[in-house]
Amino acid sequence: MNFEAIKAIYLFEMARMRRTLLQSVVSPVLSTSLYFVVFGAAIGGRIEEVDGVQYGAFIVPGLMMLTLLQNSIANASFGIYFPKFVGTIYEVLSAPVSFVEIVIGYVGAAASKSLILGIIILATAHIFVPLEIQHPFWMALFLVLTAVTFSLFGFIIGIWADNFEKLQLIPLLIVTPLVFLGGSFYSIDMLPPFWRDVTLFNPVLYLISGFRWSFFETADVSVGVSIAMICVFLTICIALVWWIFRTGYRLKA
Amino acid sequence: MQHAISISNLSKVYDSGFTALHGVDLDIRDGEILALLGPNGAGKTTLISLICGIINPSGGTVTVKGHDIIKDYRAARKLIGLVPQELHVETFETVWDTVNYSRGLFGKKPDRALCERILKELSLWEKKDNKILQLSGGMKRRVMIAKALAHEPNILFLDEPTAGVDVELRKDMWQLVRRLRASGVTIILTTHYIEEAEEIADRVAVINKGRLIVVDEKTELMRKLGKKQLTLELSNGIGPLPETLSGYDLEVEDDGRRLIYRYDTQAGRTGIGSLLADLNRAGISVKDLDTQQSSLEDIFVSLVEEAR
Repeated sequence: MNFEAIKAIYLFEMARMRRTLLQSVVSPVLSTSLYFVVFGAAIGGRIEEVDGVQYGAFIVPGLMMLTLLQNSIANASFGIYFPKFVGTIYEVLSAPVSFVEIVIGYVGAAASKSLILGIIILATAHIFVPLEIQHPFWMALFLVLTAVTFSLFGFIIGIWADNFEKLQLIPLLIVTPLVFLGGSFYSIDMLPPFWRDVTLFNPVLYLISGFRWSFFETADVSVGVSIAMICVFLTICIALVWWIFRTGYRLKA
Repeated sequence: MQHAISISNLSKVYDSGFTALHGVDLDIRDGEILALLGPNGAGKTTLISLICGIINPSGGTVTVKGHDIIKDYRAARKLIGLVPQELHVETFETVWDTVNYSRGLFGKKPDRALCERILKELSLWEKKDNKILQLSGGMKRRVMIAKALAHEPNILFLDEPTAGVDVELRKDMWQLVRRLRASGVTIILTTHYIEEAEEIADRVAVINKGRLIVVDEKTELMRKLGKKQLTLELSNGIGPLPETLSGYDLEVEDDGRRLIYRYDTQAGRTGIGSLLADLNRAGISVKDLDTQQSSLEDIFVSLVEEAR
């Protein structure tokens, strides 16, 4: 194992976060605060409780997941796309590093950034609503698994994308709608039966549901199913990344 | 003797169907400077990219000091430093960070003293805290060299290192190349400035349309393939060439005041003696004479043209 290389890639990527602190940290915090203002204060004022949880608190896990998913994908996809775009990828390809080390470096950094953000958002949420986390261990596990899985997914997007438009395509057109429709701001029991059943096909629902369970012990689907779904998605992403490096897809001619 | 790099039947066919390399065989000796010459699109960069692991070969094998570049890629790549042709740099990073990053990527522990020495050697020390964005093109080229040297490679690839750089940097660069070579580093370089190859290389390999046309010692190549030309300044201008001189490969210049005679240095007889005698017989008197050896560039041009 080339630990020095993993460290080099990881620290290099983390340095990018420090450099773009405003964009990396301040803007997600600001947008989360706006969600609180709009959903928590304005709309939440009319909805008292959902599943016995105050609405303002109810949306916290969904908001965290929204940011986590969006940022994991954005960080990881940009992290690998940018060297491809400017050509500096040559150095990684010609270095004595295995694909596992490359992935640990890039995906590890992207996941770390999202985790830091998740924690900052949790702290921000605390300012707006009282929160008590019922299962801190499970919450941390959900957080880490989701950050890693979606950073891997972002890494795949970054390798697949050959222009900036494609880089934005999947996060904007697929991931954001899935998060919004996956019960971030509501319980699916509030939906008509037909749409409730449709929502069960949305993989993000399982993430948010499981994550919310770790906070309030209320869930749309069982927590075991949630964990299983994340693991399935994680396995698919690992398999895809493995295939990318084995074939050199969009990395090596 | 173990070679620095052994290339055997190496080929590359791109997905588009274009064959960039046709079964190249080449042994690069330990500690030598090999100049890889060839016109644009000849396959020089493809060859370098294959050896360094940036692209996958379609066939053949490459070993670096005995390590196969695929089966034993870690050991092979650790030995190699690459300065690519294009200016690929981490625009928003500082010089210091980017050079240290390169060292780490190749599995080496941080070494401040070494990085400092490299940056000083490349006149980059003053700029170590500058973002690469703020540097001139020539400075960026220096940064790329510093990155390639940061992990103390045994073999250094310089792909067009002097393209678009000023005279001072070119001089610095060649000095550095000589110093590296003196310390035992094998250097493979491509250049469009053939006079540079002529000056610095031990051996020359000419590649054209994905095939290696010739590999030889520079001096040997120039001796074997080099032609000489004899320039004769005449006392008086002559009109058409007399019949007696029609057997010679002669060119008349400067309104008949100058004769150019080309001859092969390898031929048993150069024909100079008889030419001078025949000129004398024809009553043409010679005021001055001069001989010139053809340059590597002339040889290169004729080799590439022959291969067309």
